[in-house]
Amino acid sequence: MTTLHNSDGNKAYPSLAMRLYSVWYRHMRVYRSNLLSNGLPPFLEPLIFLAGIGLGLGKYVPSFGNVPYVGFLAMGLPITTAMMTASFECTFGTFINIEFNKVYDGMLAAPISVNNLIIGEILWAGTKGFFFAFAVVVVAAPFGIIPLPRGLIMPFIGFITGLMFASLSLLVTSFVKTISFFNFYFTGFLSPMFFLSGVVFPVAELPGPLRYAAEVLPLTHPVRLSRAICLGQLRPALLFDVLYITAFIALFGYLALKRLRRRLID
Amino acid sequence: MQPCAISVRNVHKSYGKTKAVNGLSFVVSQAECFGLLGPNGAGKTTMMSMMYGKAERDSSPEGVIDVLGFDPQYNPLNVRHLLGVVPQDDNLDGELNVYQNLSLFAKFYGLSGSAAKTSIERLIETMELTDKKRSKIRELSGGMSRRLIIARALLNDPKILILDEPTTGLDPQVRHMIWDTLRLMKKNGITILLSTHYMEEAFQLCDNLIIMHKGEKVIEGRPRQLLDQSIEKYVLDIINKEHEDRIRGYLNSPSIRADISKETLHLYSNHIDALKEIACLLEPGDFFLRAANLEDLFIKATGRALDDPA
Repeated sequence: MTTLHNSDGNKAYPSLAMRLYSVWYRHMRVYRSNLLSNGLPPFLEPLIFLAGIGLGLGKYVPSFGNVPYVGFLAMGLPITTAMMTASFECTFGTFINIEFNKVYDGMLAAPISVNNLIIGEILWAGTKGFFFAFAVVVVAAPFGIIPLPRGLIMPFIGFITGLMFASLSLLVTSFVKTISFFNFYFTGFLSPMFFLSGVVFPVAELPGPLRYAAEVLPLTHPVRLSRAICLGQLRPALLFDVLYITAFIALFGYLALKRLRRRLID
Repeated sequence: MQPCAISVRNVHKSYGKTKAVNGLSFVVSQAECFGLLGPNGAGKTTMMSMMYGKAERDSSPEGVIDVLGFDPQYNPLNVRHLLGVVPQDDNLDGELNVYQNLSLFAKFYGLSGSAAKTSIERLIETMELTDKKRSKIRELSGGMSRRLIIARALLNDPKILILDEPTTGLDPQVRHMIWDTLRLMKKNGITILLSTHYMEEAFQLCDNLIIMHKGEKVIEGRPRQLLDQSIEKYVLDIINKEHEDRIRGYLNSPSIRADISKETLHLYSNHIDALKEIACLLEPGDFFLRAANLEDLFIKATGRALDDPA
């Protein structure tokens, strides 16, 4: 496709876009090869979750404004799902590829650089974020709890959320020596964040200082963005969330690249 | 003299306080097979990793690695595009089958469509993997995995093939098949850099070789020439030292070099008659008298101590 030839007849290596695409393609290919076990849970999980909340818990919880509780929750769920899938991919998944099956070592013998490898991985995690968020929308929209067509923006925010948590998770992975260490990251950081980032109740309900703490947490921002877009409540303050997200991806992506390079190149 | 494909000059590599490669220099000509020999931990793998930018040498203005005009440390993609690498550990993608492993790497090299398909089919046939085309990686035997990794390394018609102990742990059939493949590659003008600690492998394949020990080069030359010049012609292996006292008087003879290990005794000499004379004093079955080979040279150059860091 893009194989170029330079003057002395030596083939030039593929372009940056092709290299990133081929790394992304590897992950997609692996994901696709177990289509049933990989593709079904993203649809089942929100179904069970929303059914449980909608039929049970939701009755006891008042509406937020004119949004019933199950709807409030449903607008955050695509984002947390995207966060979780990207985090799994870039912790356990990446660790296994580096340490156990040495797949990355193999790829580094082909014309793929460490940066290509890591950025391709981040893009793939974003793609999974897109797909998982999309699955939630598909499940929730027929019940009218995610408004259409505005809800269709959610997979895109899922993509961005995937990029955020892929970058952060890769940085975490670069420090990890034994795989069980990831338990700290999941139960110590990601799970608490689920409750403090405006997913299950509005950030405004938090007591004073915790409200500021919530602004530091990465999940707060895509959740706020997603809900605002869903409800058609666009406002200038959301630019702050966009800025936070952009800076977060750039900073943690950069640090992850630097640290993982040290791990992959002797 | 052929133009050179690889040139390594005064290269150092340390991991913390350990010096894995210590001032190594050598030149590999185009279309030759060059052997890196040495015990475990001699620095062979580290040297090979530096060839394609998987490891970086210690920074020093004197240290130079040139692979087909590129420095792998700064232009890893140029080098990797021209190279095929067969690593010591199997690092096939266990999540994909045989064919998919190759088609993925074809993508990495920018091959696509029918060109990729033709190369893949041809290599699957050459490496005798046709029956296993759709098999999972874990269903492959050690020999099949190795052949698949070699096929993967050949996908992009490399100018140089780097093989790190390609036949370790394989049965003789597969080993000979791999040797044949490498000979064919060499005939096609591919430069081969091979590390091994099987001396027969080096003798069968290599035009030139170096023996490494503790990160340094201890001997360099052509296998035949090394055998002629750097080691005595004959060896008397005494595998049962029970009657050692009968021959003690001969051990200090100037024409004989004795190499004593725990259970055995090896006497080296250029004069077969001297060794025959000693052999007469021993019980039949306690000794072998034979021509010296590269393994003897290897032991002479690197000693009998175990260097395996594990």
